[in-house]
Amino acid sequence: MAERLWKAAGWLAVGLLIVLPGLSLVLQSFADSWRAPSVLPQEFGLRGFEIAFSSAGATAAGLDSLLVATATTMLCLLLAWPAARALATSGINRSPVVVLLIALPLLMPPYLAGFGLTEWFIRLGLDGTVTGLVLAHTVLALPYVIVILTFGFGSRLRELEEMADLAGLSRLRRLAWVGLPSNRPALATAGLLSFLVSWSQYGPSLAVGGGRATLPVVMLPFIRTDPQVAAALGLLFILPAMAVLAWAVRSQRNPL
Amino acid sequence: MIMIDKPSQTPKRLATALSAVAATIAISALLAGCGGEQSAPAASPQSFSQVREQARGQTVRWWMFGGDARVNEYVDEQVVPAAAREGVDLIRVPIADTAEAVQRVTAQKRAGESDGGRVDLIWINGENFAGGKEAGLWLEDWSEDLPNSELVDFEDPSIKLDLGVPIDGQEAPWSRAAFVYAVDPSAVPDPPADFEGLLDWVRENPGRFTYPAPPDFTGTTFVKQVVAELGEDRAFEYLTELKPLMWSEGERFPASEAELNELFANGQVDFAMSFNPNFISTAVDKGQFPESTRPLLLEGGALVNTSYVTIPADASSPEGAQVVADLLLSPELQAIKADPEGLGIPSVLDPGRLNQRQRDLFIEATESPYLLEDFGETSVELPADRVAPLEERWKREILSGG
Amino acid sequence: MEARDPVRRLNAPGGRSSTWRQPGLLPALAVLLLLFGGAMLGALRVSLIPLGDSSGELTLDAWSGIFADPSFIDALGFTLKVALIATVISALLALLLALTLRDRGLIAKISGASPVPVPHLLVATIAVLWLAPGGIADRVLGGLPIDPVRDPGGSGVILVYVFKEVPFIALLLLASLGRSVKQREEVARVLGADRRQVFAWVIWPALRAPLLLGSLIVAAFTIGSFEVPLAVGPNYPQTLAGWAFEATRGDLISGESEAAAALLVAGAIAVALAAVSVRFARDVEGG
Repeated sequence: MAERLWKAAGWLAVGLLIVLPGLSLVLQSFADSWRAPSVLPQEFGLRGFEIAFSSAGATAAGLDSLLVATATTMLCLLLAWPAARALATSGINRSPVVVLLIALPLLMPPYLAGFGLTEWFIRLGLDGTVTGLVLAHTVLALPYVIVILTFGFGSRLRELEEMADLAGLSRLRRLAWVGLPSNRPALATAGLLSFLVSWSQYGPSLAVGGGRATLPVVMLPFIRTDPQVAAALGLLFILPAMAVLAWAVRSQRNPL
Repeated sequence: MIMIDKPSQTPKRLATALSAVAATIAISALLAGCGGEQSAPAASPQSFSQVREQARGQTVRWWMFGGDARVNEYVDEQVVPAAAREGVDLIRVPIADTAEAVQRVTAQKRAGESDGGRVDLIWINGENFAGGKEAGLWLEDWSEDLPNSELVDFEDPSIKLDLGVPIDGQEAPWSRAAFVYAVDPSAVPDPPADFEGLLDWVRENPGRFTYPAPPDFTGTTFVKQVVAELGEDRAFEYLTELKPLMWSEGERFPASEAELNELFANGQVDFAMSFNPNFISTAVDKGQFPESTRPLLLEGGALVNTSYVTIPADASSPEGAQVVADLLLSPELQAIKADPEGLGIPSVLDPGRLNQRQRDLFIEATESPYLLEDFGETSVELPADRVAPLEERWKREILSGG
Repeated sequence: MEARDPVRRLNAPGGRSSTWRQPGLLPALAVLLLLFGGAMLGALRVSLIPLGDSSGELTLDAWSGIFADPSFIDALGFTLKVALIATVISALLALLLALTLRDRGLIAKISGASPVPVPHLLVATIAVLWLAPGGIADRVLGGLPIDPVRDPGGSGVILVYVFKEVPFIALLLLASLGRSVKQREEVARVLGADRRQVFAWVIWPALRAPLLLGSLIVAAFTIGSFEVPLAVGPNYPQTLAGWAFEATRGDLISGESEAAAALLVAGAIAVALAAVSVRFARDVEGG
């Protein structure tokens, strides 16, 4: 009985906190007119999506964002894997200074990037390029990835790897057969977060990108000033991110 | 307070009071359709043809507020093709706030760049222009040399001075702005005519009025208009009296014009306000304001100002940016922008300097109920150096006090 | 406390210095130090050299300026209050959510985690749409018992943060509740442990580190970001980042140095918090 009540409460919470707000976003994106005292929009139409795809250039911006976010995720995982392994082996608690250095981009206010990061990237000649954008996003996402992967390298992985070594597997095979699969939940979560960090980056994208329009860059000006267009762009923003989230949550199930 | 002549009779109106006329001006639909037939500007100085030559093939990144769909559409559909005909590739960079463009320019400056900057043109506000001018961020001595600048009255104080700071050829005027209010006559059948009337109205209808909290641009402008009309000390007495009668008893303020518009749309307050004289039409177009909303002036006139475009000194395409700034001043594009069926943003051109053909591009009468016939006895804004102290005093006496 | 014991540290497998010698760390550290380190130094320089000042000499004006400004001091207090409340509530609810979701199906998990990819500003906008005076909830119910938008106490900010961060921390927790934890739970149960003991001996140790990490990230974010307070926070006081943001709005150049200084203060608080947490975690693990 208590179990059923608990379950009902859970779904009620999902309905109130997830479904209703989500639904209102969809309604808003199609609401050509939505004012008090009406509970539902007075007029429906495609104005939001028309503007999103015409002058806001959602398609090009979305593809740009997708490219940058994918590249950022790859680069982050590539850099973070050996780092997390090293941290896990030596014990994360034994190297507080290293941990703090790695976590620094997580701890500093995002807006600070507008003051330091832009200037530094210009000095390095990295601004205004896709490479620069990927590197800027990598800096901001890398801490998440390293820390999450470090948690993933438990004692169990080391045991499995030792078994693989005893079986005479090459390092590459050990990685492919043992390391990656056994660390899949952490990899999925880390990949998800690096993708999302890049996908939703506004300030650094605008500043370091030097005017390259990614999805958040075209969306942000509409928030509050034009709720319908903002909602349409918001949906275009959220749907790919939701797909990645669904994939990541599925992958959190540990196969080993 | 500088007064601009109030337009008296229709024939003279075009020639004398450009700021007041501009909103009544519209373009014939015919000409709006064929922006392609750009006439060569009358007298283009020798040097500018060189600028044009160098501009060919350049890419111009124009950083501007990106949250107004109709302004975006105007730039994409009118200005970009016009620039392309000059061989300039114009890219509109949408930003949420002008400061983001300026911040990018300061970062370039700090990085020691002298050219190759990725900001070529900015739709700028007065305070950021003043700060950037002091720091030497802007390209100098170009705006008055644009061929179309001959059509602009640079001696007009509302053009020569941007928030009291001389523009000194570092920015080119683009649009007129006038501070107007919005009311729905079904809610406010007998709207107040001045600030005293507003106070009386609010006494009878407590909780139905508010304004955005300074330093929001719109909120500051409201305070500036009260100060301009009543004098600073009386203005603060007035605002103090107003506060407890306002929405949420003056304990909360909307933080922006957009938020005030939301409150208006949600039926929480009966007044909205904006420096964009066409904001009602835009809001009705978005389905945000009821169609019965109408514009209103207080004290018989609007506070007016001009908005400008500027070119950073380190722009990578300064010539291309000048060509675009010149295009923005062309009678054709100014007329399309002034069309009340479209943007309805008043022109900065001096009607007295237009020839008959150019003048015909602008049509006077407007059917639009969302635009004012004229802006009455207009007043120019307070200078920039008075703004910060006013905002501070507002915070001290109104926001925290009372 | 034992971790500080020199003998113990000597005997520990891999002392502090060995971490630096791990070659695997080098690429990541190099990228972070080069790219982010340079950025931080740049930000520090902005706070020390105003742009309009052609002499290029260092000055502490911005730093003394912000600490002399009562609105900055109020912002400091308000920021800490909001960050503390939002983080504690988020952590507790996230723990509850993760424990509820771990045995549920995929749909439940995805629904539970779905606010994670939604940008903060969009969440704030939706909150305004529903909860503002005259908003949808108001229209449906004809009045609301709460009035969080622009509440001087900051409840609107806390509400949006909690909504966004609970699923985020829960996601981190779920990633640590893999099959091996399940197996250990079963073992513990076979050995006769009751539910409370299973939690204390198996589940809590697995969740402690990610919970601490998640809370730390949330605290740092709530201390350092301005979007949510700007959208639904009170007119006064502001948060530190909101204060910095506003300092650059009217005239960027005069406000730039003070904004950078204010943001560095926010960053320093987050770093100090992280240092304490790492220390704390070390003591816990050591004990």
